[in-house]
Amino acid sequence: MIPGVAHPHRYLFEQMVRRELRQKYKGSALGIAWYLVNPLVLMGAYYLLFGVIFELQRIPDFPLFLMVGLVVWIFFSQSLLSAAPSLLDHGALIRKARFPRETIPASVVAVQAITFVVLLVALGVVTVVLRGTLDVALLLLPVVLLALLGFVLGLSLAVAVLHAHFRDVAPILSAALLPWFFLSPIFFRPEDITGQALARAALEWGNPVAPYIEAVRAILYGGAAPGPDVLAYVLAGAAVSLLFGLALFRRLAAELAVLV
Amino acid sequence: MTPAAGELVLEHASRAFSVRADRGRTLKELIIGRVKATRPPGPPPVQALDGVSLHIRPGETVGMVGRNGAGKSSTLRVLAGIVPLDAGSVRTGGQVVTLLELGAGFGRDFTGRENVFLNGALHGLGRAEIEARLDDILAFSELGDFVDAPVATYSSGMYLRLAFAIAAHLDADILLIDEVLAVGDEAFQRKCEERIARQIAAGATLVLVSHDAALVERSCARTVVLDGGRVAFDGPTAQALPFYHRLMGTPDPQPVAP
Repeated sequence: MIPGVAHPHRYLFEQMVRRELRQKYKGSALGIAWYLVNPLVLMGAYYLLFGVIFELQRIPDFPLFLMVGLVVWIFFSQSLLSAAPSLLDHGALIRKARFPRETIPASVVAVQAITFVVLLVALGVVTVVLRGTLDVALLLLPVVLLALLGFVLGLSLAVAVLHAHFRDVAPILSAALLPWFFLSPIFFRPEDITGQALARAALEWGNPVAPYIEAVRAILYGGAAPGPDVLAYVLAGAAVSLLFGLALFRRLAAELAVLV
Repeated sequence: MTPAAGELVLEHASRAFSVRADRGRTLKELIIGRVKATRPPGPPPVQALDGVSLHIRPGETVGMVGRNGAGKSSTLRVLAGIVPLDAGSVRTGGQVVTLLELGAGFGRDFTGRENVFLNGALHGLGRAEIEARLDDILAFSELGDFVDAPVATYSSGMYLRLAFAIAAHLDADILLIDEVLAVGDEAFQRKCEERIARQIAAGATLVLVSHDAALVERSCARTVVLDGGRVAFDGPTAQALPFYHRLMGTPDPQPVAP
């Protein structure tokens, strides 16, 4: 999936994903289903807030509009939040064995990606049927999702290795994600919020998550291909994030056995 | 120069460790300035390796002895490629298999069998390669029905048997073993020693850290005595052990100046 983990340690990656899936909710009544409960509860809460209490009815089929954006956000935020402490959580492994350290945050992100795809497929089917948005644009969805995965993976690598060095990273991250959520076009369209071109551009392009939300929503909710500018942004964002994340990780990973 | 399979070369290897309890730095320190400027002075870093040079040839059996804190385990972790050096170089050839601490890389909720796969994967093996060795590993571990019980239910002796069984079947060119064999009962220790001897006969290199002089005497032709992060003696075990025993009367290694 990522270059460093590609060949000899591919099976290790598989094992780590399995370990991650099993270990976290082992012994709880719902087991793996907990991975779905969390996002579902979040979605229910936000729907109650924005769909029922505030009644943002200017947007047709608002629940679907909201949910599509929300699953993308949940994948993004949960990946970063669980990647941040992942290296410290696996300290015992890191101190005792030599293996590509990228495997750890990558497996955490993979588990989130599996949850995300399950939710998105279920939601996607409902959305496409109810909105009648079955369109060739759907063929672009895998491309956009792969780009999203790359974007999230790159950032997760960076966040994980930074948190191992500087223990403030995870708390800063969880504090930043809340306002970030409200500034992301999840429960609104930028054009509904502001008529100012500059403010709108900032909301649409200044927030690196926004184009991913916009692209997935254009396809599933809108039934049309995202604009070429959005597609280009999404692909470039993935490349930049991956390159930056990997470079930073490799640079800071050497000392991990001493730090964690 | 690339080392041959089973060869280890340490050249002027140095490594210091901070001994602070709060090992991580904070962003504040990164932004405001140096660690020393914002923190009360703690104990200075300890020089675990201080210019260690070692050349171990394929097929050699090397014991490593020294008091607690002499740098034995650090040397092993450097050789294993887990801890990087501050200065100097380390080169190893071939498959390095480490048996550092008990239960390294064991998922506690996983069964013994599942942990064989996880551990094999940690050493870079694929599913097919592990499956080919699975029966031998489980037989060697003598765990019986416990192979399908979570390792959380294991005694430390059972942990060791599984860990050693895995390590012994990974086709090591270099075996790095740190003081773990002592946990096993005598029969299993003997079995481990025999297994190691067979691997050495097949050309593997052994580096063994132990406080058990008798074990070192039985298993190792050459012994390195470490003291304060330096090589105090390096030669035939028959001469090294008396040197080591004489050394045990001297004071503890002092931390180096910051």
